Amino acid sequence: MSALSHQTERADRRASSLGLEITLGTAIFGLFVLIALAAPLLAPYDPHAFSGRPLERPSVAHLLGTNDAGQDILSELIYGARISLAVGLGAALGTVALGLLVGAVAGYAGGLLDTLLMRVVDVMLALPRLPLLILLAAFLGSGLVQTMGIISLLFWPATARVIRAQVQTVRQRGYVKMARNFGGGSGYVLRRHILPAIVPLIAFGLVAAAGRAVAMEAGLAFLGLGDPTAKSWGLMMRFALNLPGLLLTDRWLWWLLPPGLCITLLILALTYLGIGLEGRLHPGLKR
Amino acid sequence: MRTRVVAYLVTLWIVLSLNFLLPRLLPGEPLSALLDPESSDYVFSAEVRAALEAYYGLDRPLPAQYFAYLKGAVTGDLGRSIRLNQPVAKLLAAHLPWTLLLTGTALGLASLSGLLGGAEAAWKRGSLADRLLTVTSVVAGNAPVYFVGMMLLIFLGAKLGWLPLAGGRTPFAHYDGPLAAVADVGRHLILPTLTLTLSLLGIQFLLVRNNLVSILGEEFMLVARAKGLRPARLKWNHALRNALLPFVAHLAAHAGLAITGAVFIETLFQYPGMGRLIFEAVGARDYPVIQGVFLVVSAAVLTANLLADWLNGRLDPRLAEEVGR
Amino acid sequence: MNEPLLCVRDLRVYFAQCAGRDGAVVRAVDGVSFDLAVGESLAIVGETGSGKTTIGRALLGLHPPGNTRGSIRLAGRELVNLPEEAWRPLRWRRIAMAVQGAGSAFDPVYRIGEQIAEPLREHLGLSRAEAADRAAVLARRVGLEPRHLRAYPHQLSGGEKQRAMLAMALSCEPEVLIVDEPTSGQDVLSRARLIELLRRVRQETALILISHDLAAAAQVAERVAVLYAGKLAEVGAAQEVLEQPRHPYTWGLMNAYPNMTTARDLRGIRGRAPDPTDPPPGCRFQPRCTQAVELCRQAEPPLVEVEGRLIACHLGGLQTLLQAHDLRKAFSTNGNGGVVTAVRSASLEVYEGEVVALVGETGSGKTTLGRLLVGLLETDGGRVVFEGQDLADVTGRARNALRRRIQFIAQDPFDVVSPRLTVAEIVREPLDVQRVGTAAERDEKVREVLRAVGLPTEAAFLGRHAHELSGGQLQRVAIARALVLEPKLIVADEPVSMLDASEQAKVINLLKEIQNERGMGLLLVSHDLALVRKVADRILVMRQGEIVEGGPANRVVTRPEHTYTHALLQAAPALDWAADRP
Repeated sequence: MSALSHQTERADRRASSLGLEITLGTAIFGLFVLIALAAPLLAPYDPHAFSGRPLERPSVAHLLGTNDAGQDILSELIYGARISLAVGLGAALGTVALGLLVGAVAGYAGGLLDTLLMRVVDVMLALPRLPLLILLAAFLGSGLVQTMGIISLLFWPATARVIRAQVQTVRQRGYVKMARNFGGGSGYVLRRHILPAIVPLIAFGLVAAAGRAVAMEAGLAFLGLGDPTAKSWGLMMRFALNLPGLLLTDRWLWWLLPPGLCITLLILALTYLGIGLEGRLHPGLKR
Repeated sequence: MRTRVVAYLVTLWIVLSLNFLLPRLLPGEPLSALLDPESSDYVFSAEVRAALEAYYGLDRPLPAQYFAYLKGAVTGDLGRSIRLNQPVAKLLAAHLPWTLLLTGTALGLASLSGLLGGAEAAWKRGSLADRLLTVTSVVAGNAPVYFVGMMLLIFLGAKLGWLPLAGGRTPFAHYDGPLAAVADVGRHLILPTLTLTLSLLGIQFLLVRNNLVSILGEEFMLVARAKGLRPARLKWNHALRNALLPFVAHLAAHAGLAITGAVFIETLFQYPGMGRLIFEAVGARDYPVIQGVFLVVSAAVLTANLLADWLNGRLDPRLAEEVGR
Repeated sequence: MNEPLLCVRDLRVYFAQCAGRDGAVVRAVDGVSFDLAVGESLAIVGETGSGKTTIGRALLGLHPPGNTRGSIRLAGRELVNLPEEAWRPLRWRRIAMAVQGAGSAFDPVYRIGEQIAEPLREHLGLSRAEAADRAAVLARRVGLEPRHLRAYPHQLSGGEKQRAMLAMALSCEPEVLIVDEPTSGQDVLSRARLIELLRRVRQETALILISHDLAAAAQVAERVAVLYAGKLAEVGAAQEVLEQPRHPYTWGLMNAYPNMTTARDLRGIRGRAPDPTDPPPGCRFQPRCTQAVELCRQAEPPLVEVEGRLIACHLGGLQTLLQAHDLRKAFSTNGNGGVVTAVRSASLEVYEGEVVALVGETGSGKTTLGRLLVGLLETDGGRVVFEGQDLADVTGRARNALRRRIQFIAQDPFDVVSPRLTVAEIVREPLDVQRVGTAAERDEKVREVLRAVGLPTEAAFLGRHAHELSGGQLQRVAIARALVLEPKLIVADEPVSMLDASEQAKVINLLKEIQNERGMGLLLVSHDLALVRKVADRILVMRQGEIVEGGPANRVVTRPEHTYTHALLQAAPALDWAADRP
């Protein structure tokens, strides 16, 4: 049995493949960042401008054709990177900030405060994500900032849990008690010992949250709950699908497929980056 | 177990309260806007307006509103749909079974294939099949579910014309007998279920595979092998049996994911489930329906959580003692 | 003659190590051979990383295919590289193993009883009820109750799980039972009970005990095989090997093993355990061995029979540094023509790296004997053999060479040190006499040994004279002087009796430390039994010119055979005044 006989081996080939994952993830992610930053230079037209007739097929003037309002799809695609990345990063920052705050406080303080905060986390984790998201989006209105805020609100509990666990572990380690013996106060301990232990978690958390946020933002836009003025990839797909009979022609190939692929690629890049980081964090992780 | 049930009820109560408070606390007073002739959300139908006033009771003090709301939730009065002018409860009852059919089937299929596939992959760790399956799972699990659905729709529905493009069943169909009805529903179910299954499958597969690989490295597996047990016994009775524990633990989370996926899929395929309902309600600012769906879905997910906890307790003897019967 | 039940020849188990260095091969077991007869019990002892567990697993074919080489024959059938399917019916049925760490050996989701019954159903085809009955019987045999069988693994204590694992291993009545580290991590009482259990078990089946617990090995096994860095160092009858180790490694191991019998302080083996991917050339133990010669670095020693044991050492085991045969010495008293026989007939041995104490009261002849051994006095009869050479036969240059290797430390340092010389000159004298190295090299050597004995090396100190030093300091200078020629044996005559108690402790510890580090033999002549008990490996008791008793230090002190020894012990200073009260 090849499966079990590996038990007695001490082989571990993880190191090499993890490097591949991080490299690939970083490369693709970097590419998207570049595209987003250089959008004005790369896009042939202003995505809001009616640069052509509606529903044109791909041509030299419009490499991906135009949408139903006559706007260049390629430009929409390129500028869409900005939205996805912005919301992804913004929501990720929000998630991690909230999660860090709650998790660190709960893990460090312990006692009643910890129990209270964890109750909140448990409740939030028990609630189904998307319906709540829809509820909030419906009542709070659409807009990029609202979207970022709502996504952060929904994802911070998981991060808080992870950070709390780590803070707890470090807090009761011997060297923290020694630092106390030397006369170090809470501020010192937090700064000197606990923070370095959480930094890798924060990095990983940011990447993971960004991945989820990008997916969620596109999904919301697709459902019509996103900012209708922000030309995100999800919105592009929504408009594409709104066209009756889209699937029966091959128009989907240049209107529906590109944004979908972009979303998938970006999420994949972030996921692989996350897997790579996680592997570095936990060298003993058996995969 | 008792503590779990209590926690479940408490969370349910929180959901109910959240449902109650949210529209009343948000800026812009969306509920009063429904009844305000000046606002763009003004409901024109007098009959519906009257029903809304009665249900929300905005002129009464807050505690009274709260109790009325709770009473309504328990008795089944969840208000009236603005858009369709029907009791929300009736709408939910009509749409819920479709969603259950979709998510139940998809979860079942994904879990089964994930278990079997993950087990095989872990057993043949490092082989080509394993690596291929793993990469495919990562991609499938990360691609947005609506994108996967779209691709399937295009290839299997539009291009090849094998399967219907939308709906739960052929509109205005007359069935010769129950079997024909089932067949029709089944045909319409295939694409949505396939999409959701693929989306869930990725995560399930990876979970089972990674857990199993971890378990295979445990000392007791070595001892089991040293005992000269048959490979089948090693694989199923020992390895997989232990891998079931984290799998079941995650089942509840996967149920939540299934609901999320269902919303997108129902929208995409115009499938008459809860997801479709809430999607349309959001478009029409139909608050009673939105709140109703949120309530029912939350309750469903919480129940799934509870079931998973109970199942986990039965399967893992280490937990049975803590939970206490 | 029948072939023994289990016959292992040149067993090698190599693992490829990929993390870090590619291509590095871990040679966990590197050529091990042994036999096991029906009903025999063998203990394989060694430290962590010696390869003992690897051997156990190889005997059950649990390593990845291709990693195991050599031959393992069970009742004539070759087992190495047997395909997995062929292994299955043999495992547990004919060879079973109770693994190290019973804690994780059981599947957490099944009850103990079920897991004990499992192999019975698999191999013997018993029904559920029959298997359960058998499991109950097995459980009783190992001292477990029915409630233990109904429990899950996490509900049992470590000792209970250990016994359950033994019951499980015995279930199919295997011909060979391998027990891997049964006593590690156990409290003493559980350990004692387990050893008791193992002693009963060994009557039913051939037993291989894998352990680093030497005492357990001695109590359970008939024979013991000492494993070092994947190769066997010594194999022989358990009691003999552990009481009188012949291989330098076994000897070092015994010295380091904490137990209730030895009052002597623990001593580690100098150096470090070898890297399994890059073992030392020649004999594996050679970098840490105090008696290594050039041959040891070039070729691996084969395991050969030496006086009833198998030893892997080019020199045939621990060397005898010094041997005295029937020494005699008499002094004439002035005037009367009378004769005082100081030493009547004395024979002794000092082994490599050993500390031997020669104790007796004043006038017993011990000081004379000490001086005879070093050559400070001429013998009237008998021989002294050092490193195989009779001192009497050696003359001239050879004698000089020999002189370098035995040194003497006297009782009164003021007596043996010139008051006119400075510290530097005192310590350098032997180097000057023997003309070793250049002047600069000699000075450096002087500084080195002064550091070794804990004395300062500045010019101010080096320029002092004997009368400017304390007794303790001067004795250290004397010791430094003795070290400067790098001797193999030091004979110390009451080295600390003239010092204060606090100085005594420090100097005796210093001697011991140097002796261990440099691998020297030390013959300690003393009247202070309490003192030598802390440092000696063997104690020789001398009375009126004869050695009346000699043996391992712990034995002499706890079970003296001679009445004189008994008397000495009684009179030795003890801090237990209550015992003196009538």
